[in-house]
Amino acid sequence: MVAILLGSCSQNFLNTQPLGEVSSSIVWSDGSLAQAFVTDIYNGLGNGGFDEQMLASLTDEALFTHPGRGINTVTEGTLNPSNLGWTNNTYEWGNMYKKIRAANLALENLKIATFDDQDLNDRLRGEAYFLRGYFYQQLLRYYGGIPIIDSSYGLNQDYSKARNTYEECVDFIVKDCDSAASLLHGKQIDKGRASEVAALALKSRVLLYAASDLHDIPTAKAKSSVIGGFANPELLGYLSGDRKARWEKARDAAKAVLDMPGYGYKLDLTAPVSAEQGQNNYISIAMGGGSKASEADPSAASELIFARYFTANKDEGGEYVGRNNGPNGYHNWAGNEPIGELVDDYEMADGTKFDWNNPLEKAAPYKNRDPRFYASILYDGAPWKPRDKISGDVDPANQIQTGQYEQGGKMIAGLDTRQSAIENWNGSWSGYYMRKFIDPDPNLVDNTTRQFVPWPFFRYTEAVFNYVECCLELGQEDEAKLWLNRIRFRAGMPAITLSGQDLMEAYRSERRIEMAYEEQRYHDARRWMIAPTTLGRTVAIIVINGKLKAGATAPVPYHHDETLYNYTYTPEPDNTVENRKWEDKMYFLPISRDEVNKNDKLIQNPGYND
Amino acid sequence: MTRGYLFKILVVMKICLVLVMMTFLQLTASPSFSQKRFTFQLNGVKLEKLFSILEKKSDYTFMYNYAYVKGHSRIQVDATNATITDILNKALPAGMYYKLLPDNLIVIVPKGTVVQDVRVQGTISDSKGNPLTGVTVQVKGGSVGTVSDVKGHYEMEVAAPATLVFSYIGYDDQEVSVTDQRTLNVTMKLSAKGLNEVVVVGYGTQKKVTVTGSVATVQGSELQKSPTVNLSNSLVGRLPGVTAIQSTGEPGYDASTIRIRGTNTLGNSSALVVIDGVPDLGGGLERLNPADIESMSVLKDASAAIYGARAANGVILITTKRGKAGKPELTYSFNQGWSRPTRVPKMANAAEYAMMNNELTMYSGVPVDQWSAAWQSLSQKGIYTLGDGTQVKAPYQPDDIQKYKDGSDPWGHPNTDWFKTTFKQWSPQVRHTLQVSGGSDNVTYLASLGYENQDAYYKHSATGYKQYDMRLNLDARINKYIKTSFGLTARQEFRHFPTQSAGDIFRMIIRGKPTDPEVWPNGLPGPDIENGQNPIVITTNQTGYDNDKRNYFQTNGKVEIDVPGVEGLKLTGTASLDKEIQRVKNWQTPWYLYFWDHTSYEPDGTTPLLTKSMRSTFTDPRLNESDDNFLNILLSGFVNYDHAFQGGHSLSVMAAVTKEKDNEDNFNAYRRYYISPLLDQLNFGGDAEKNNGGSAYERARLSYFGRVDYNYKQKYLLEFLWRYDGSYMFPEAHRFGFFPGILAGWNISEEKFWKDHVKVFNYLKLRGSYGQMGNDQVYFNGALQEYQYLSTYGFGSYIINDQVAPSLYETRLPNPNFTWEVANNFDVGLDGQLLNGKIDFELDYFYNKRTNILIQKAGSTPASAGITLPPVNLGRVDNKGYEFKVGYNGNIGDFTYSVSVNGGYAKNKVVYFDEAPGAPAWQRATGHSFGTNGNNWLVYEYDGVFKDEADIKANTVDYSALVGDLRPGDMKFKDVNADGRIDADDQVRLDKNRDPTFTGGFNLNMQYKNFDCSVLFQGATGGLLYINIDNEAGDIGNFLQYDYDHQWTVEDPSSVYPRIANRGDTYYTQGAAGNNTYWLRSSDYLRLKNLEIGYTLPVSLGHKADINSFRIYVSGLNLATWDKMKIWDPESTSSDGHYYPQGKIINVGASIKF
Repeated sequence: MVAILLGSCSQNFLNTQPLGEVSSSIVWSDGSLAQAFVTDIYNGLGNGGFDEQMLASLTDEALFTHPGRGINTVTEGTLNPSNLGWTNNTYEWGNMYKKIRAANLALENLKIATFDDQDLNDRLRGEAYFLRGYFYQQLLRYYGGIPIIDSSYGLNQDYSKARNTYEECVDFIVKDCDSAASLLHGKQIDKGRASEVAALALKSRVLLYAASDLHDIPTAKAKSSVIGGFANPELLGYLSGDRKARWEKARDAAKAVLDMPGYGYKLDLTAPVSAEQGQNNYISIAMGGGSKASEADPSAASELIFARYFTANKDEGGEYVGRNNGPNGYHNWAGNEPIGELVDDYEMADGTKFDWNNPLEKAAPYKNRDPRFYASILYDGAPWKPRDKISGDVDPANQIQTGQYEQGGKMIAGLDTRQSAIENWNGSWSGYYMRKFIDPDPNLVDNTTRQFVPWPFFRYTEAVFNYVECCLELGQEDEAKLWLNRIRFRAGMPAITLSGQDLMEAYRSERRIEMAYEEQRYHDARRWMIAPTTLGRTVAIIVINGKLKAGATAPVPYHHDETLYNYTYTPEPDNTVENRKWEDKMYFLPISRDEVNKNDKLIQNPGYND
Repeated sequence: MTRGYLFKILVVMKICLVLVMMTFLQLTASPSFSQKRFTFQLNGVKLEKLFSILEKKSDYTFMYNYAYVKGHSRIQVDATNATITDILNKALPAGMYYKLLPDNLIVIVPKGTVVQDVRVQGTISDSKGNPLTGVTVQVKGGSVGTVSDVKGHYEMEVAAPATLVFSYIGYDDQEVSVTDQRTLNVTMKLSAKGLNEVVVVGYGTQKKVTVTGSVATVQGSELQKSPTVNLSNSLVGRLPGVTAIQSTGEPGYDASTIRIRGTNTLGNSSALVVIDGVPDLGGGLERLNPADIESMSVLKDASAAIYGARAANGVILITTKRGKAGKPELTYSFNQGWSRPTRVPKMANAAEYAMMNNELTMYSGVPVDQWSAAWQSLSQKGIYTLGDGTQVKAPYQPDDIQKYKDGSDPWGHPNTDWFKTTFKQWSPQVRHTLQVSGGSDNVTYLASLGYENQDAYYKHSATGYKQYDMRLNLDARINKYIKTSFGLTARQEFRHFPTQSAGDIFRMIIRGKPTDPEVWPNGLPGPDIENGQNPIVITTNQTGYDNDKRNYFQTNGKVEIDVPGVEGLKLTGTASLDKEIQRVKNWQTPWYLYFWDHTSYEPDGTTPLLTKSMRSTFTDPRLNESDDNFLNILLSGFVNYDHAFQGGHSLSVMAAVTKEKDNEDNFNAYRRYYISPLLDQLNFGGDAEKNNGGSAYERARLSYFGRVDYNYKQKYLLEFLWRYDGSYMFPEAHRFGFFPGILAGWNISEEKFWKDHVKVFNYLKLRGSYGQMGNDQVYFNGALQEYQYLSTYGFGSYIINDQVAPSLYETRLPNPNFTWEVANNFDVGLDGQLLNGKIDFELDYFYNKRTNILIQKAGSTPASAGITLPPVNLGRVDNKGYEFKVGYNGNIGDFTYSVSVNGGYAKNKVVYFDEAPGAPAWQRATGHSFGTNGNNWLVYEYDGVFKDEADIKANTVDYSALVGDLRPGDMKFKDVNADGRIDADDQVRLDKNRDPTFTGGFNLNMQYKNFDCSVLFQGATGGLLYINIDNEAGDIGNFLQYDYDHQWTVEDPSSVYPRIANRGDTYYTQGAAGNNTYWLRSSDYLRLKNLEIGYTLPVSLGHKADINSFRIYVSGLNLATWDKMKIWDPESTSSDGHYYPQGKIINVGASIKF
């Protein structure tokens, strides 16, 4: 018996196999498996910008409603190497490097892969180059120069590595973009994958940033003593050199994107469309072809150069934008609420600036604004989706209620306030809610239903803006205005006719409004070095009171009615949630204390070592 | 000493030979005395003293009946050059006679006794008929004797009449007089001292007295006293060195985490459970019916080495009951219990909660210098006008607070105690067991059936646990040489839950605002707290169900063959099959709640108008179903050879091989868009978004092991055990590990010098062990890390072309060179009894050094490397501690009692852990202990509270890395590195973690006539628990009553308690510095763990009904607790209370035996 057992106990008995995994060696001999490996690198993109906490809330676009997420650590300037505050996975150091390694592995293995489809091999390498470049770009724009690791480490190597200079990083990413673009040229690209134009768009962004004030050290030093006092400014930008050449390079890169056929949405207009059309155009672009709402034109998907898509068959965080940001009176969570500073920056429909000191505008601040305002912001009285009937038919008018309204002799709080009977702790502080990326399809109940709006990493309009900015920096104002006004016409806004510094300001404002909530503002305000006067501002909220007109009877249930109520609008600074301030150290994120402790070659960013 | 003894054995052998010759050859020659002469004097000595002097001075050996000789008066001897006959003639009293036998043997007998030489033989067995090996047989008064062999047989020549003394450690001495019998079979009776107790050890049994390892045992009958439905909850306090922490009481998941001698490794610290010889049996020990358990042994030291591969954290051996030959015996027992939480957190009431929210509104909206004025205005008028003219309104107005206080408006201003409203008073649980056992000489059986049903605390609870189990143990002797045994267990475990997890439910109960109704005054369910969550509904089946059925079918068979012709050689083969099928069905249906807008009324104008609304976060029913199939096959073969040599040497040798394979596969399927909540079958779901999946694994182990046991007369004990283990976990070249153990024991009390001098100790044993064991449970990041030597890619997905596209990612950078984690365990122990067993004790000291622990080098590898790190054999942990158990048995008339105290202390220390090279010394995990929740606490050190603005002004420490501006009520921290700034460098590694270092128990058993009572107190010390619910307290949810009572306020500024926070919006409640010592609480406790009082009906009553015995009893679990934590149960491991609390159980039961 024992002998039988012994006899059957060959050592092969212990050679079990992992049944849920595939041997790496066979992956590179099979085209579909190799493709699956490259596909996974895209997961480094996370939910795009559609996480519960959005980058907009670190800027003068929005305020994050709920405390305890580490966001105020950043906006109040408390952040430091040992208290990083909120850091999203889409740019977090470790997560980026994990995916960079995956891209390196793909590039190394594809070089020696044995499957015999060169076309596929080229495309996959192109995608890997793009992704590596993209992740390095993420690190570069948040942290400054980072260690460039261009091959995969083995076991027991020396993993410590110094940061490369800013210039080296730019060159490296540009080279990856060029490799990607040439490998992807002429390839059939599935929706969701990187294409040649995505590589060109990435290159355009990186070169635009490289030409900007923050990364021109002589300029940056002059504007910031913190940068001025930093011993290793080469990690943050160009120490010297021809700025004009950098702007030209950036302009040409942007132009290369503009020249790609088949992208962009309604950018051939020569006059403004109607306000309604402008609003719908803007909604259509934000929906990126992912909405069934009647006002959303699916063909606006042509704006998207590179995006993160979502689908019903996989439940992912990016599908809850409506629940995360919608009004509490709809049983949503308010999340990234727009603040007064953003709302105020929407021009009047005639192209003039909105002004609280204008009594007419102050009395009716939500009238006659840029059509994009109505497509981006939910404000008091704004018509919105059918409100749920959970607590009864409390709002048959389906309007946003962020004010206090007189009823029965006292002031009653609106359904979407922090004094609401419905989930008041989720109410907006600012009196506004985000609308831009929420699918307006009335059949989607945001609290219970997911949406499938793609996140735009690169859209055609960004490249247009990049081109406009370079043209302005290079003094080519007519070319700049031509493109700038195309964007405005699409939105139903009149042409800009300014020049000089005013034109530059108008451009910056236009970029802010058009690209709101798209993870641009945080970077733009920093690279333009206007952060102290923008990102550092105290949050502005709106206080709205609706007093009944003499002799008027309050409607029950309440609805917005200017024939019955006199509404007053009072903007107020508010430090309740965040006591925002700007410190120049915030131009770059701190590198985590743990990482510095593990890699002693790392130099910390300026302002974090005192 | 030994030489003398051996010499005497030789003498006896010679005598035997001579006697045999005499018998056969009818020799009548009379032996003659030697003519040796003696000179000595003795004054007033006993006769036996004379004999012993003569023995020493000559070659003579005296044989006599001690009782006969003892009674005679003392004598005088005055010998001068006298022969032995001269001396004896003079000295022996009248009537006493001596006779010389060959080989200088002198027999002392009463005159007239016919002395004859008798050859006696027989078998020595215990009361159960099992042969006893190694029993010493001696003629009383003489020193000659023999020892029984493996079959309990002995044989010797005796000069009759004589008395034979049979002695065996752990048994009472037996005296049998020999006159002319030729066959003398002897049954030894167990001594009351319990030393004979059979202890189950690895792959065998030993008597307690010969056990050399550190083994804690408990009988099944003890475990039966605990009225818990989960066996793991019955262990604590009963086994020194075994810690069992029950962190939740949720039916189905209420198991204790068991640790033997604490945490020994950075990886997996779970003990190996072996049930009837099968390691790691599906379902473990938790769901065994305690009535089926014969005994439980815990191998704490190198005695576990024979289990090699998975034994590093100790081994728990469970032996189930088997039948005994005799009339069939039927036992039925019934238990009805009622449980309720030991403790639920006290939450703030409505008025308190309202005031706290008013405070929060002020803290966030009013500058510090106006707090005082603002607070007065807010609490009196409900509104405050700031200096700049803006108004701050209290969310709760003074008249609201009044209504919360006086309860005058139950609809609009309730005062809800969410725990009270959600729970019922007592939750029933029931257990029935029917057991029959019996058999003939050749076949014995035991069969049992069990049923249990456990309800949860909630009203109309969807949660519960139900179990059906059955066991059949069969033993059959086929012939003289072959014996077989079979065991079969079948069990269904049915865990049923609502669709919301207990974590979510308790999160809501704690969060529930006391100012909101959970249930309307008319009995209808109130609104949700958020996302449809209202505990009164989500604890029921109104949301669907989550059913988890696990079916176990486990068999094992054994054939033992005594090899004919080779005495003591035995071959054994065993096979066991462990089959588990798990089916989980999660059916979610939308649910409805009742809402009131606080303005609408029924037509009567006074009754609030409630709206019934669907309030789940989904609207279509959906079903998730999964099926999991597991099979383990274990085959083993053993060769045993036992031999007792002449002279008391016994040797037992075992060698074995075992191989084991696990196979598991599962699948799951999901559908939604069911057209009706009434159809809960997979078939009826919609087509869109349906999903399915599946996976599988295989695991294998191959082991060779053995043991050599040697003892000399049970006085000197030596054991060597080894295991050569191969596991699929390791790369081929490093797959096998050799794990030896050596154990030795010395029964000091068996030594003559001890017996003569230290009579108070009737038993004392010193033992020691050293062994190595392996651990193949490569475990980090909360998961078993398999195939870490292979370069493989795992499957993920990403959205391409609006489809879920499969993707592949590198699972790890493989390490081709890693191998076993090694436990080096050293133990020394002392066991003893005093006053003839009245007092007994066991003491142990251990020192475990765990090396080669498989860890990731995550501490020193920069994130920029981008690597998913493989395991490397780098970690080292030392663990030291002690255990004790002291008992006393006594009686006062009919009242008998026993008390015992036990305890175990274990404290480990991380010797090597991969840490960031730049981390400050006071933060390093190395040098500190390590627990179930990882490294010791790394925290800021709380240093009081800024009482007022003056206090802040006087502060010189920079808090800017934590907060912009300090405000009164903010917390102070110690500036550990004294750099004038509080930052991450000021965190310190504490010397404690969550686990207790000491666990102990106090047992009291009493019996008076037909009454019996047992009491178990149990306690633990040395752990710390982090308790902070601030993340969801404030405008979002309720506070602890403790927080209301202990807070900085404007009216009562504290320098001890901090200001309350809204959802943790202060630096000291959340984020980096939220980890501070203020929130750490001692989890030390003492509790009345178990109490049982029973009454057995008098036998006379029973006989009339043919009842053998009938006992009724009441018992209880966790009846009283003394602790410092005071928030929730001190055994809890939860920091936020989002868990189902431990239970207090009251139980009544009856057991009847026919």
